[in-house]
Amino acid sequence: MTGTDTLPARRIAVVLAVLGLATGPVPLPAHAAGPAPLSARVGGAPDRPQTRAAPAPPPPTVPTPTAGASVPPTDPGGGSAAPAIPPTTGPVSPLGADLYLRSCASCHGPAGQGSQRAPSLVGVGPASVDFQLGTGRMPIDQEAAQPPHRRPAFSAAEIRAIVAHVSSFGGGGPQIPAVGPGDLRDGRELFLANCAACHSAAGVGATLTNGFVAPSLDQSTPVQVAEAVRVGPGLMPAFPESVLSPPQVDAVTSYVQELRGNRLDRGGASLGRLGPTTEGLVAWGIGLVLLVAVARWLGSRAGE
Amino acid sequence: MITRWLLRRLGRSLDDRLRTAPVLRRAFAKVFPDHWSFMLGELALYSFVVLVLTGIFLTLFFEPSTADTVYSGSYAPLDGSRTSAAYASTVRLSFDVRAGLLMRQTHHWAALLFVAAIVLHLLRIFFTGAFRKPREINWLIGVTMLALALFNGFTGYSVPDDLLSGTGLRILYSVTQSIPVLGEWLVFVAAGGEFPTEEMVPRMFVSHVLLVPAALAALIAAHLGILVRQKHSQFPGPGRTENNVVGSLFWPSYTMRTLALFAWVLAVTFALGGLAQINPVWIYGPFDPAQATSPAQPDWYVAWGDGALRLFPAVEFRIFGHLVASPFLPGVVFGGLTFAGLYLWPFLDRRHRRGQLSHQLLDPPREHPARLGFGVAVLTLFAVLLAAAADDIVAKIFRIPVLDVLSILRVLALALPIPAGVLAYLVARVLQASGGRGVGDLTRQDVRSVRRAVRARVGAGVGAVTAGSGTPPPQDWAAPADADRIELWRDRAGRWRWRCRGAGVLLTANQLYLSRDEAERAARTAYGDLPLREVEPPGGAVGVPAAMVERAGRVAGRTGGYLTLAAVAYWRSRRSRRR
Amino acid sequence: MTGGDGPGRRERAASGLVVGAFGVSALGGAGFATVYATGGQTQLEGLALAVAFAGLAVGLAVWSRHLLPNGGYVEEHEPFDSPPADLRLAAEALAGPESPVRRRGLLAMLAVALGTLGGAALFPLRSLLPFDRERPVHALRTTPWAAGVRLVRADGVPVRPTDVPDGTVLTVFPEGHRGRGDVPAFAVRLDPARFVVPPPGGNVAGVVVYSLLCTHAGCPVALYLKETGRVLCPCHQSNFDLLAGARPIAGPAARPLPGLPISLDADGFLTAIGDFTAPPGPGFWSLK
Repeated sequence: MTGTDTLPARRIAVVLAVLGLATGPVPLPAHAAGPAPLSARVGGAPDRPQTRAAPAPPPPTVPTPTAGASVPPTDPGGGSAAPAIPPTTGPVSPLGADLYLRSCASCHGPAGQGSQRAPSLVGVGPASVDFQLGTGRMPIDQEAAQPPHRRPAFSAAEIRAIVAHVSSFGGGGPQIPAVGPGDLRDGRELFLANCAACHSAAGVGATLTNGFVAPSLDQSTPVQVAEAVRVGPGLMPAFPESVLSPPQVDAVTSYVQELRGNRLDRGGASLGRLGPTTEGLVAWGIGLVLLVAVARWLGSRAGE
Repeated sequence: MITRWLLRRLGRSLDDRLRTAPVLRRAFAKVFPDHWSFMLGELALYSFVVLVLTGIFLTLFFEPSTADTVYSGSYAPLDGSRTSAAYASTVRLSFDVRAGLLMRQTHHWAALLFVAAIVLHLLRIFFTGAFRKPREINWLIGVTMLALALFNGFTGYSVPDDLLSGTGLRILYSVTQSIPVLGEWLVFVAAGGEFPTEEMVPRMFVSHVLLVPAALAALIAAHLGILVRQKHSQFPGPGRTENNVVGSLFWPSYTMRTLALFAWVLAVTFALGGLAQINPVWIYGPFDPAQATSPAQPDWYVAWGDGALRLFPAVEFRIFGHLVASPFLPGVVFGGLTFAGLYLWPFLDRRHRRGQLSHQLLDPPREHPARLGFGVAVLTLFAVLLAAAADDIVAKIFRIPVLDVLSILRVLALALPIPAGVLAYLVARVLQASGGRGVGDLTRQDVRSVRRAVRARVGAGVGAVTAGSGTPPPQDWAAPADADRIELWRDRAGRWRWRCRGAGVLLTANQLYLSRDEAERAARTAYGDLPLREVEPPGGAVGVPAAMVERAGRVAGRTGGYLTLAAVAYWRSRRSRRR
Repeated sequence: MTGGDGPGRRERAASGLVVGAFGVSALGGAGFATVYATGGQTQLEGLALAVAFAGLAVGLAVWSRHLLPNGGYVEEHEPFDSPPADLRLAAEALAGPESPVRRRGLLAMLAVALGTLGGAALFPLRSLLPFDRERPVHALRTTPWAAGVRLVRADGVPVRPTDVPDGTVLTVFPEGHRGRGDVPAFAVRLDPARFVVPPPGGNVAGVVVYSLLCTHAGCPVALYLKETGRVLCPCHQSNFDLLAGARPIAGPAARPLPGLPISLDADGFLTAIGDFTAPPGPGFWSLK
């Protein structure tokens, strides 16, 4: 089963993530190596605007070409004003084209025009491509309504190259957002107002309809969270800058990092953070069983 | 030595003022049946004590108010947020009050176990027929306490004013509001206005810490008072009749046992409270009517109601132009029927049973296959409803569309209870036919023999099963066949005692009597007209309690000594280390 | 029990166990005190207390099972019906010649007085709903949404249609009434060509606004599935189809979400032109 964002697999997922970090192929998105610190807990809040204002330097090996700052016609406020990476132009790297043709073109078409099996990639934007590749949702082995979060199939550099290549198809779309440390309190409030309804206040996700789920956020890096917020992958609503400002997205990503792992489980075993359901199971399956077992022992006579 | 002297002094001075000796003498001699299922109610009682103890601690830090406050404390993601005082103080007592989180979690776990123990206790009473005359009053009191426990659990997890419980409260408000004619006024008067009101938290708090606990305490007192007055029921067995109770004495052995159970309840609740996180309100966030978290379930003991709300189809109808809203049937009517059924059960059950007789001997569940089958069917329905309350979690874990889960559960809710009940009925009949002991003593062999017997029955055709379903086979425990005679004697101090002696049975009277008449009357009450003869005082065997008490005292003394020594040693080592 | 020192040895073993258990209990108690005094840690505190009480439980249990007499006692259980003489005496005491029970007329009047008093005593319950509050039916039927009330976000900023681009969902409130329970609504933009049923509140350039409260039990239907134009309720999984006038298509909800009639004000902000098209939230008896 690849359902890593189903709940029993939470623990395993954490372990896998740790292993993944330890063994090398780190699923960091394109500009994660840039100066913007990933962890919400390091770095000071005061210099955040500066961090944001300073554009991330273009990746050293692969220049990221994008198709200029075109405004999508049907999208009045959305996605057009991604702040992060300044649109740069340059030659499309052969690596990106090569990987694209091998892994993506069979469904999405050689020029990203889409097919019966997969949607067009023209205009989806770098954030979306980076999100899908960085979370290992693409490429998929078999057609699934909602591919799960997995270890990415490509290295960070390869993902950068594919993103650059897909961007060359044109159409604009949300850029990969730059993420800085945000305010935890604002993050908590924004998360509860905008995200908790589907992803659960505890970040463990929930079911939607027709077998779709809002996945657990336990494996999501800050940039992936920010990309999902801007892009709205799948059924998820998108939150462009007119709805959530960049500092607000920073706050949300910081809070999601706080939710990951078991930092907030100050009360002991998290029980999957599933709330009263697992609590009830534990009360009956452990608590009451222990009580009744001893009652049975006490209620019998020694020697019986 | 000193202990005994002190006890004697205390006893004497109390007796001088209250004349306690006759009462105490009888109280110490109360006989408790030796069967674990009689301790289920005690589990509930001790959970209640844990709830009161931890609850008092929480009351000292919780602020029952929805007034706007700013939380400032060590929980960073909330530091500086504006929330209700109730929510802020709950997070404060979890993060900023030392041992506060332990107490809060222990309180919540104890609440889950409290209701679970009540339910288990109720099932034991139900399946063994312990609710029959003369114990109907205690059944009614017990059902009332169950209802109060559910209500208090609900108000308890709602007062922190967090997002998850606020959603639950919203649902309860909507269900109450759906009651025809009265609903709107009922809910507005109870809550003080349209949801959410600032009165809800303080009102629930008063109910949670004062009204309902006081009622529960009074009902517990009545429950136990009636229990003592009516004495315990007991399972049938050798030497047991409708007119006696066989078991252990309250003092000393049962006192120790029940204190052990109390300590164990404390151990389990504190272990859970410290090690397993429950209701992390700091993660859920403060309540806001425009926000939601998902999955959203209530605590298990009200989850059956939530399950019914989920399973029941979207049915709304109008009566004379007025709306009967969709939560009414699954919420109000189903819940009402559940408790009405519980309240009426002793009287419904009686109509099929032999008249108005009092019952002190319990039915082994198999002796009433119909009752067993009905109970199992109802339990099955409630199990499906509990599962339905978690349908979204099931859907997520197994990646099934939640509406499919819902459809499956709807089918199960209709299709499962009756076959389950019939199966239980058949098993009971088979068990009955194969003979055996109480349900608590079922062994693997019993199960195997049932399987064999079922196969035989199935082979013989269903007609054989239904043929015997008129009345249960007569099992007359009233005259124990193997309790041959009553022996009566006068001990060296001149007190009278008796015992019942038979094949494999030797049951000693629980008290000492001052006159032969008294002793004989007791023996006659317990065993009717068994032959009675006066004998020489049996040596040794009967003088056990004193020796045992002596021995126990020695153990206690030694323990205390060791503990003191250890404490002294520790203290001295500390002192020397400090130097 | 005839074996030489068998029982004695067993007893000594039991005593040793009891002493050990109480010792463990004392250690647990001391451990709790230590953990508390050195700063406190929830898991260790719980564990220490659990050990303390478990030690106590084991000690007491072993003590009672192995060092005290168990079972083998019988107590008589007299039947509950009193002897007829007692019954007769009690009945006479209750309803004898001087008994008030015989004064039927006085009793009847007493019943009238007590009944009236009891009924009157219920009146102060009405105080639980303050008299300056709205009456239930009116309160449930109406909300502060009205013509000219602007839609604002949670932070109080008024909303323009361009603030609700494709694919997003925005929770909106009537300006000045953020905290009330019956006002939350949400705005989404849908392609007007896809409407199967026109939205009851109309649309402004595809932007439609509906009540956020589920018509089943009042939970916020905050799960918006962008592509399908559906919203879900997190509590009981009702689905509403925004393309068909927010009609309920699955789950226990029976009525569509009420729409909010909207238009643009002079400054280009979204504004309500009336209350919801039906009372928001769960049903009630007087719902028309």
